[in-house]
Amino acid sequence: MSGAAIPVALRVPRESRGGAIAYFARRNPRMIIGGALVLMWIFLALFAPFVAPYDPRQVNVSDSLLAPNWTHLLGTDDLGRDVLSRVIWGSRISLSVGVISVSVGFVFGVSLGLAAGYLGGAFDLLAMRVIDALLAFPALVLAIAITSALGPQIQNAMIAIGIVAIPAYARLTRGQVLAVRAREFIVAARTIGCSPLRIVVWHIFPNVINALVVQATLATAFAILAEAALSFLGLGPQPPDPSWGQDINYSQRYLPNLKWWMSVGPGIAIFSAVFAFNFLGDALRDALDPRLRRSA
Amino acid sequence: MIRYILRRLLLMIPVAFLVTIGVFVLVRLSPADPVLAFSGEERDPAVLAAMREEFGLNQPLPVQYVAWVSHLLQGDLGRSFQTKQRVLEAIVERLPATAELGAAALLISVTVALIVGIASAIKRNSFVDLAATSVTLAGISFPSFFLAIVLILLFAYVIPGHLFPPGGYTPATQDLGDNLRRLVLPAVTLATGSLAVNLRQVRSSLLDVFGHDYMRTARAKGLRERTVIARHALKNALIPVVTLIGIQIGAIIEGAFITETIFFWPGIGRLAVTAIPSGDYPVVQGVVLVSAFSFMITTLLVDLLYAWLDPRISYDTAAA
Repeated sequence: MSGAAIPVALRVPRESRGGAIAYFARRNPRMIIGGALVLMWIFLALFAPFVAPYDPRQVNVSDSLLAPNWTHLLGTDDLGRDVLSRVIWGSRISLSVGVISVSVGFVFGVSLGLAAGYLGGAFDLLAMRVIDALLAFPALVLAIAITSALGPQIQNAMIAIGIVAIPAYARLTRGQVLAVRAREFIVAARTIGCSPLRIVVWHIFPNVINALVVQATLATAFAILAEAALSFLGLGPQPPDPSWGQDINYSQRYLPNLKWWMSVGPGIAIFSAVFAFNFLGDALRDALDPRLRRSA
Repeated sequence: MIRYILRRLLLMIPVAFLVTIGVFVLVRLSPADPVLAFSGEERDPAVLAAMREEFGLNQPLPVQYVAWVSHLLQGDLGRSFQTKQRVLEAIVERLPATAELGAAALLISVTVALIVGIASAIKRNSFVDLAATSVTLAGISFPSFFLAIVLILLFAYVIPGHLFPPGGYTPATQDLGDNLRRLVLPAVTLATGSLAVNLRQVRSSLLDVFGHDYMRTARAKGLRERTVIARHALKNALIPVVTLIGIQIGAIIEGAFITETIFFWPGIGRLAVTAIPSGDYPVVQGVVLVSAFSFMITTLLVDLLYAWLDPRISYDTAAA
């Protein structure tokens, strides 16, 4: 080492916190908009009993089919139930299906991908053929088939959407594992006698987590959309529980009478929730994983 | 090329085998007893036992699977519990309606994606580009069944003249005009989801091509801008789009389940959806199997087309 002195800045003047946030927001408007919308839906789902103005199951025939007004901001349905309250309570079902099914897909898909990528050989070959077989079905068709076989219940919708989500995680994880497994730090870990499980969990997994976070956000958007589609087909939660897809299906019979508000509330809710997760996922992809960045 | 095709076909065999196992297991997972569903009002245990024997349901599962696959290979998908019609026959009857809807949706999606995608890539950051990118993001997030309801509300009820009917189907051989009028709303609904993805792909692959040296060379040698784009840029940019259109076939099959249900379009998607509540599993199973196999075959054809279109792809790499 040479003895030349290295100029060291002892203290770099820091920007104020407000300035830093403003800078971040200017650079990442999608993350701010997407994140704010996601937080809004999480808040509404968590505090639905306090935020919703009425009981979503409360039938009140004298108030049936009211157009949006100051007492019922999104109007009422044919049984006099408040559409806004049903939309707010419906977010609980949509978000919980989103979170649980994405977790199911995450746990199984990531474990399969880590094992296939690290172990290689016959296990990898077999695991990837199973993934290919899952990918051979159009995603929603597979979810419909699983839910219709297991029975139309919200738990089954979660399982179905979770299974459909597995291939994306497994493929992504396996690809990332193959990319890092030959790197020096993995060889070093193996040399000092780390067990395969320790290497996979402590050394490989942290390196693939960024890509997985992006995938999980985008998969939540798909899960919300898929749950709405399953509910629309009568394969999700059953009446009188509020559910966005089911409420839109129910509203169809009032279209000829131009009772548009029954469909618009849940429709906008699905759109905004899916849009929020897609927007946030896109922004996270750019921020966390430049390799995955698309040219668009 | 022949070696590549053979290898791809060989790779398809284990996947097809796993797909059949998946569908078989799915149906057996179902809590409903197929014999009770098939027998209707009949509850005599002796009759039910005889039926179980006749259908081979008292055999061990692997034996049942082999019997099912051997029927499958002969084109026998079983009979509907409800109508007692052969499932394959029911699917073949409804296939033309689904194919018509799918083809119309694909045509709309690809045409609009090409026109708007090219315009938005050429005039990058212009108003057209901004509008196209926003519509793309919105299109991906917009549930198709909600779009269908908005379209029905507007065009069948609100706008005077009731331009398009809210649903139903007339065979083209019977009345072509009415057939097309009834096709517009479901086709637009089905096209929108895939339009967003196609548009994004056309735009981004064109932008990618614009950065290449041969584009600068083409301009430097004095070619007109129109020729540069049509002969040099599009030819290269459309290769990934071909793949994407293949993938969209899957989106169109799954979209058909919902769109056909809303618009009372008598295709295979509606056939399956109406079979679900009554527990008519052979029909659901048949449609799911046909969807999966058509999706697999389309993906294979697209991969072959891709390799054929782009001579730079070596078949060995493409197969890896």
